[in-house]
Amino acid sequence: MPIVSLPYKYLERLVGRSHEDVIERLPMIGSDIERVLPDHCDIEFFPSRPDLYSVEGVARAMRGILGIEEGLPEYPVTPSGIGFSVDPGLAEIRPFLGSAVIRGVKFDEESIVTLMGLQESLHWVLGRGRAKVAIGVHDLTHIRPPFRYLAAPRDRSFVPLDFDTGMTLDRILADHPKGRAYAKIVERFDRMPLIEDSLGQVLSFPPIINGELTRVTERTTDLLLDVTGTDRRAVDLTVAIICSAMAEGGARIESVDIDGTPVPTLTPSERVVSVSACEKLLGIPLNADSMAGLLRKMRFGAIPGGDGTVMVQVPCFRADIMHDWDIFEDVAIAYGYRNFEAEIPATFTVGQEHPASRIGRLARETAVGLQYLEVMPFSLTNERTMYGMMQREAAPGVLHLLHPISEDHTIVRTDLVPLLIGTLALNRHREFPQRIFACGDVVLDLSTYQKVGAVSTHPGADFSEIYAFADAFCREMGVTYRAVPSDDPAFIEGRRADLVVGGRRAGVFGEVHPAVLNAFGLEQPVAAFECDLTVVPGYPRDPATP
Amino acid sequence: MDLTYNEKRLLAALYKERHGEWREPEELAGELGTNGEAVVQYSHLLSGRGLAEVRQETRHTYALTPEGEEYREKGLPERQLLSSFEGSVPMAELNRHPLARIGIGWLRRKGWVTIRDGLVTKTGTSPESPDEAALREVEAGGQGVSDLIKRGLATDTEELGFQVRLTTAGVGECRAGLELRQEVGTLTSEQIASGGWKNLALRRYNVGTLPKVAYPGKIHPYQRLIDEMRQVLIELGFTEMYGGVVQSVFWNFDALFQPQDHPAREMQDTFYLEPRVGLPEGYNRVKTMHETGGETHSTGWGGTWKEEKAEQCVLRTHTTCLSIQHLARNRQPPVKAFCIGRVYRREAIDPTHLPEFEQLEGIVLDTGVTFRNLLGFLRVFYNKMGFSEVRFRPGYFPYTEPSVEPEVYVDGLGWVELGGAGVFREEVTAPWGITTPVLAWGLGVSRVASLRMGLKDLRMLYESDIDWIRKVPANRAGPSAPGEAR
Repeated sequence: MPIVSLPYKYLERLVGRSHEDVIERLPMIGSDIERVLPDHCDIEFFPSRPDLYSVEGVARAMRGILGIEEGLPEYPVTPSGIGFSVDPGLAEIRPFLGSAVIRGVKFDEESIVTLMGLQESLHWVLGRGRAKVAIGVHDLTHIRPPFRYLAAPRDRSFVPLDFDTGMTLDRILADHPKGRAYAKIVERFDRMPLIEDSLGQVLSFPPIINGELTRVTERTTDLLLDVTGTDRRAVDLTVAIICSAMAEGGARIESVDIDGTPVPTLTPSERVVSVSACEKLLGIPLNADSMAGLLRKMRFGAIPGGDGTVMVQVPCFRADIMHDWDIFEDVAIAYGYRNFEAEIPATFTVGQEHPASRIGRLARETAVGLQYLEVMPFSLTNERTMYGMMQREAAPGVLHLLHPISEDHTIVRTDLVPLLIGTLALNRHREFPQRIFACGDVVLDLSTYQKVGAVSTHPGADFSEIYAFADAFCREMGVTYRAVPSDDPAFIEGRRADLVVGGRRAGVFGEVHPAVLNAFGLEQPVAAFECDLTVVPGYPRDPATP
Repeated sequence: MDLTYNEKRLLAALYKERHGEWREPEELAGELGTNGEAVVQYSHLLSGRGLAEVRQETRHTYALTPEGEEYREKGLPERQLLSSFEGSVPMAELNRHPLARIGIGWLRRKGWVTIRDGLVTKTGTSPESPDEAALREVEAGGQGVSDLIKRGLATDTEELGFQVRLTTAGVGECRAGLELRQEVGTLTSEQIASGGWKNLALRRYNVGTLPKVAYPGKIHPYQRLIDEMRQVLIELGFTEMYGGVVQSVFWNFDALFQPQDHPAREMQDTFYLEPRVGLPEGYNRVKTMHETGGETHSTGWGGTWKEEKAEQCVLRTHTTCLSIQHLARNRQPPVKAFCIGRVYRREAIDPTHLPEFEQLEGIVLDTGVTFRNLLGFLRVFYNKMGFSEVRFRPGYFPYTEPSVEPEVYVDGLGWVELGGAGVFREEVTAPWGITTPVLAWGLGVSRVASLRMGLKDLRMLYESDIDWIRKVPANRAGPSAPGEAR
């Protein structure tokens, strides 16, 4: 989640209260305080509230919460007379454009950094790493309108930001750091998005890099904003968040005429919501007046209606209002979570453990009664541990991760004994005898079910010991089995048996093969047992499959 | 006083004669029919009770070596040399004597002869020297024996010796009378059956001696915590859910109204799998919800919802995918269900991040339940888990509205965020015909484990040192374990 830096001097000027007052209230509007430093603090805000990713946006919200300024903030927009055209050839590439002229900006080094921080957070959260939305901010002085947003050939050339020579679009994608970072968004197209002025000077190569020509400096006072993307709603929202933040900082917003439509309007959307629906969701007593009052603290426009409704004006910068309940949450936040009287409903219900859990619980109880210690190994493992070191063939239904994060974790376990032997290998220096077991999920052919595995290691660990365990375990679990000679290569020939239940091979036990012990680096004999718990009477029949 | 049979016998032996004097264990051993070591052991026990005192001293035993024995018969080499001539003798001649090499130096050192110009002349005085006296009576010790030891003619053996005598209290104990009865170590079935036990004195054990350490078979401390949470929820009337760790993207993300371009769905964060599965009946209502908000007053996410994305499979990233499937099958109120299961995130392993961990999930579907009730469930649940102070902050989760982040107070750490909760969005429940609110909450179980057990490295839970499991007490994670969490 994005972290926003709030410099105290600027914050206090915008809010009109001490930064201590602001910091105290911040968590109660939904944020995590990361750091509090002498001159600024770093706050993490939720992805649902990109309007809080700037000092100006936070100050606007806090003025409402602190009762300094409530209700809908209004941002007048006057026409700039500047035109912008969009090339229909961009329809399949990056069709949507938003723009605005922002005048009377007073930049210093800090406020440029703040604007860049807002831009970065929006690129990440609304822009999905610039794929969905990309933002360009330009000094308006050196360029001449009208502007064109076009699909340009890849050999078009201009001087990108931080460079002093012209480069073709292809070369920017290959050589410029931003080009390499974002190439995957546009490289599959024959033509690329480009913004130029009436003299053919390049402002920007969205979503990759701006031109050096329009670099913003501390002397910049008038800005042209371009926002391009693949989603109309996200583009417009981004324009609204940036313009409203700049306006809160004292700038004037002017509209741009895009193919005959003036943008932005920065006007609120409207929703009529029911007071009783809000009461029903939150469980607190409300009326139209009190609810409207709470919403105005959250910077909505809110007018109580006569019929148990409130007419809500949703500010243009709010990204998260999709549904009435999104408005009701703001009512709850303004009411204060701490002011809710927590209460359990009176409905009577009977609790019940899942049958699979019950079987697992009995299996654990039995193994513990037989003096075994429980361990809980990872369920992600690799083919070498699960099969190679066990001298076994990989199970045909084993599940491979498409993009594993390490060589140790490439598959989901199908057996527990290899992991138990691995646990013994971690505990070679511990007191013997060691008797451990595990009970847990395995996955085969997409189906999840439980197994139990047990291993015993000490100088006398042998077939008779583990046969006694297997026999006692099956008896306690109500499993009628037949032990037949096994051919499992993980065990010593003549000292291994399959556990056959109802004609099906449900488990195996015996003395682990010395070659397996060598592979795991163990020096004491190991006797092992594993059983599929689906054969236990009472195990649920519904398959746990997707 | 609780005296053992052997202690009483030693007391009696010490009292019988010369009870003020120091006695030798060897001597007493004869009387008691045992060995000296046992007497020393009993003496120390009595000394511990203040009935006897024990003193110890180092004893030296001197003995002649075989060479020393030989000289005891024949005299020391210098004495033998002195007797071999009268008056004076040339050095060259004396050198031919077999003991010359050892004896000549001593002759001169003891002042029995002078040697000048190759002539050895007796001084006339040759009294018995201390080493010669010691040769006759080596047991007595003294300077002469030390000389013999230096010459390698005698040995000194050191040993620790004990002596014991009664204290005044010991004498008093004996005067009061000692009941002497034979003790045995084991009670036999024959003695039980025959009634022989009635006249039997069983040997007492010293309770102060620690026993051999034994470790029981036991449930893993983390499983114990999981079972405790399950118990709490079952007590609160919740039904347990269980389901597959492999889930379709549809149930894991789409059914929970996560937009298809949400960053959490990307393969950097989620383990995707090769197989694809078909979509369940009713999936098109979810599609409509994403695109337009369906018949609710939601706007939906817009855009086009793509079936092929939803048909992929993942290792479940949360157990909420089980909750929504449970709700899709059970929509008649009341429904209260929970699940504790392993979930998977594509994270590199380090002490605080694991690619798999347990998550707890609870849902409540009921007529008339409210956000206030959700806070009520959260408070009761955390209280029962041993966290008595709970507070709530706004939160954000894609599938709940309103959302809340509960925090609990932990001594030494302050307010700690523990899980997340909210009311399922209508966009999540409406496609399945659910018309009442659904309260939902979840939390990372390993987070509770690390708070409760003070774990610094979460890997300890899964790649366990069995010594740790052996030694962590079962009651450590108990709900009322004092001083751990409040």
